[in-house]
Amino acid sequence: MTALRRRAAWASVACLIAGCGSVDPSTTAPGSLAPRSIAVGTALAAEQTLGRALDDTPRSLDPQLSTDVQGQRVLDDLFEGLTTVDIAGKAAAGVASSWESSADGKTWVFHLRPEARWSNGAPLTAGDFVYSWRRLVNPKTGAEYAQGLAAIDNALAIASGQKPTDTLGVEALDEHTLRVRLSGPTPYLLDLLSQQYTYPVYEPAITRYGDAWVRPEHLVCNGPFVLRENVLGSRITLEKNGNYWDSAHVRLQRVVYYILTDTSAQASRFLAGDVAWTDSFPPSQRSWLKSVIGDQVVNSPYFGNFMLGMNLHQPPFKDNLPLRRALVLALDRAPLARYMREGVYQPAYTLMPPLPDYQLPLPDWTSLSTEARHALARQLYAQAGYSDRHPLRLDIDETMLDAGTRHFFDAVAANWRSVLGAEIHIDEREFKVLLQDLQLHKLLLFHDAWIGDYPDPYTFMQIFYTGNGNNHGGYSNPRFDQLIDAAGQEPDNSRRFRLFEQAERLLDDDAAFIPLYYYATRHLVKPYLRGWQSNIMDRNLSRYMYLLEHQER
Amino acid sequence: MLRYTVRRLLGAIPTLLVIITLAFVLLHMAPGGPFDGAKRLLPQIQKSIEAKYHLDEPLWRQYLRYLADLAHGDLGPSFQYRSTSVNEIIAQGLPVDATIGLTAIALAVAIGGAVGVNAGLRRGTPWDYGSMGLAVAGISTPVFVVAPLLILIFAIKLHWLPAGDWVHGSLSHLLLPAIALALPYTAYVARLMRGSTIDVLNSGFIRTARAKGLPLRLIIWRHALRPTLTPLVSFLGPAIAGVVTGSIVVETVFGLPGIGRYFITAALNRDYTLVIGITVLYGALIILFNLLADLCYAWIDPRVRLR
Repeated sequence: MTALRRRAAWASVACLIAGCGSVDPSTTAPGSLAPRSIAVGTALAAEQTLGRALDDTPRSLDPQLSTDVQGQRVLDDLFEGLTTVDIAGKAAAGVASSWESSADGKTWVFHLRPEARWSNGAPLTAGDFVYSWRRLVNPKTGAEYAQGLAAIDNALAIASGQKPTDTLGVEALDEHTLRVRLSGPTPYLLDLLSQQYTYPVYEPAITRYGDAWVRPEHLVCNGPFVLRENVLGSRITLEKNGNYWDSAHVRLQRVVYYILTDTSAQASRFLAGDVAWTDSFPPSQRSWLKSVIGDQVVNSPYFGNFMLGMNLHQPPFKDNLPLRRALVLALDRAPLARYMREGVYQPAYTLMPPLPDYQLPLPDWTSLSTEARHALARQLYAQAGYSDRHPLRLDIDETMLDAGTRHFFDAVAANWRSVLGAEIHIDEREFKVLLQDLQLHKLLLFHDAWIGDYPDPYTFMQIFYTGNGNNHGGYSNPRFDQLIDAAGQEPDNSRRFRLFEQAERLLDDDAAFIPLYYYATRHLVKPYLRGWQSNIMDRNLSRYMYLLEHQER
Repeated sequence: MLRYTVRRLLGAIPTLLVIITLAFVLLHMAPGGPFDGAKRLLPQIQKSIEAKYHLDEPLWRQYLRYLADLAHGDLGPSFQYRSTSVNEIIAQGLPVDATIGLTAIALAVAIGGAVGVNAGLRRGTPWDYGSMGLAVAGISTPVFVVAPLLILIFAIKLHWLPAGDWVHGSLSHLLLPAIALALPYTAYVARLMRGSTIDVLNSGFIRTARAKGLPLRLIIWRHALRPTLTPLVSFLGPAIAGVVTGSIVVETVFGLPGIGRYFITAALNRDYTLVIGITVLYGALIILFNLLADLCYAWIDPRVRLR
């Protein structure tokens, strides 16, 4: 190799380093890494094996013990509830083929498919659901999501040990009919019943093997796939379940989840062709990835919100609406999201992220010009008693997420400094420490976030209800609570939504929190992987996916 | 020798007890518990979960319970990975880390040793400066740079080797992680061996051998090589214990099912049993490999046996 050639080789190595770190992507030379182009045919690929990158090791493959998104992804493939989600992420018929509810919305009857079976061929009956739901709320199970069934009669009383498990409002009328009694109308019940913790589990396996029933050699399930292999922290392999009632429409023979906690590793495994789908990529690499693989980078709205909370029971925020409003108004959310988060996330002005049929109650101040908004913020800041000589001095308490989030908070602080003159600093602490300080209401201005469990405003609105465990700022407004209570008794969904919209306006009037941005999904998807659609709950079942013939050139 | 070994092994028990006690107390002192999550649980539900794992008992009773279980070889259930025991986690992960770690150490000793001895013998030559320059570069390049770089070159660009994943017994899956892990150790071993070679060559018995008129090759192979190994052995003892229990960076980048990552994640998750379990394991391995190192000294250097 000549000296010149050698230098050229080192230059390309330098590009590789820059490309894989969190270096500003605009300085990298993606050309050196451009993967081969992919020609996609129209016929199904002969080998239907899908590799999917997963963000972390699922905490458990026991549906009732699962609490995390990763667990949900795998359990969505292994099990099926009374309902499931369709390709667009909406609740659809699962083990139950039909259902009806009483006029007051408090009693539901589900009709189970007679052809539904366990993976070992045993028939799946209404009694299996009764067993599984009682297991979820039984304090002996120790399920963290026992409160997920709160809508069902007596669920919380049983979970708290005040009533026996057989008082749960669910009974098998016959082998294929299940009756569910609710404590109030729950228009999102069908969404709730597609959550992993409501999935049926196979009693004989649990009785026989105890905790070990989730091992591949013992696990009996009822979904489109069965568990072949579970290598903790590395790989979960599923194979098609021939006993699944709809197996004729499942085209993938094999799904391999690769656990890659490092989002850069997900991107490199995608580029290497090991996985056709990733759950993430580093937001800081978005522009670079876009320039290399274009449309294979997929961003879409996700049902989550990233915000700052304020402690409403301590100075400086206690009884200080002008200061809270000044902080809310001063931020330039659109440029913050565009430049500090690479446009991956959309600027937020409300508590609720966008949801079909729900009118986001955009605050009036969003229609002001930047100058007018800043002027108003400064006026409120002065009204609260602050000035250049006596500025607001405060810390944002946040947890160590990643460098991008840290830079975002730095920009937020700089934004407040330039508009108001406030001196805000960032204080990072470990996640569990932050949680404890939040629960003890020790923090004044803090990082907060919420991801909805099901596509309904209630999952967001309940946080600000007086005394809610996640109401870290201690917000309390009787008017707000009344609206939420009224929504809880309202069976008509569009009227419910109007009540939630009113409640949200109160949150803005009271400046109860500081919205920053709505979350977004971040996937890398090969062009030959079909049978999926972006959706706000970010649930994409392997059941619908298939691979087309393709050739890498 | 046997009595010495038995005495050392018995002496390890109080050391391990101190490690366990410290880990136990420090962990429980840290704010937050294993079941404090981003979404707050209802207090009664939180209580019933904690009762299930005896976390509601006084600390001393939890401690005694842990020791009693440990005496039976049971490291307890993991709180983070529910329905999995710490024993299962270690049984699944340790062989992977051990395979990668021992391969890396073997590479480091073979390559680093050869380069280091060579540099020591040719002290002051371009060969010496060149290889030591490379060694300094190797020590100062972090694994989180080397590992993605190896993936980009050998997996994404050249398609020669897999970018990650683990298949038992597959050489191609072992190669990149082992090389990434071996690099800093190779560099360290090279520097160590160079220094010790120079030391030994300057010592009295080599001068005597030269004065006797023995050919250089014979001096090196028969007399010099064995004593140069002394610093290497004292380095390898703790190094093997460290490498066998995994590397968080290598495991994360290559997506390997090892236990190295839990040294950090389990502590952050307040997964008490998992943290204490791998800490005990690590402590036991350090004690074991230090003992082996001491036994090796006796083989290398007869003077040690006299003492």
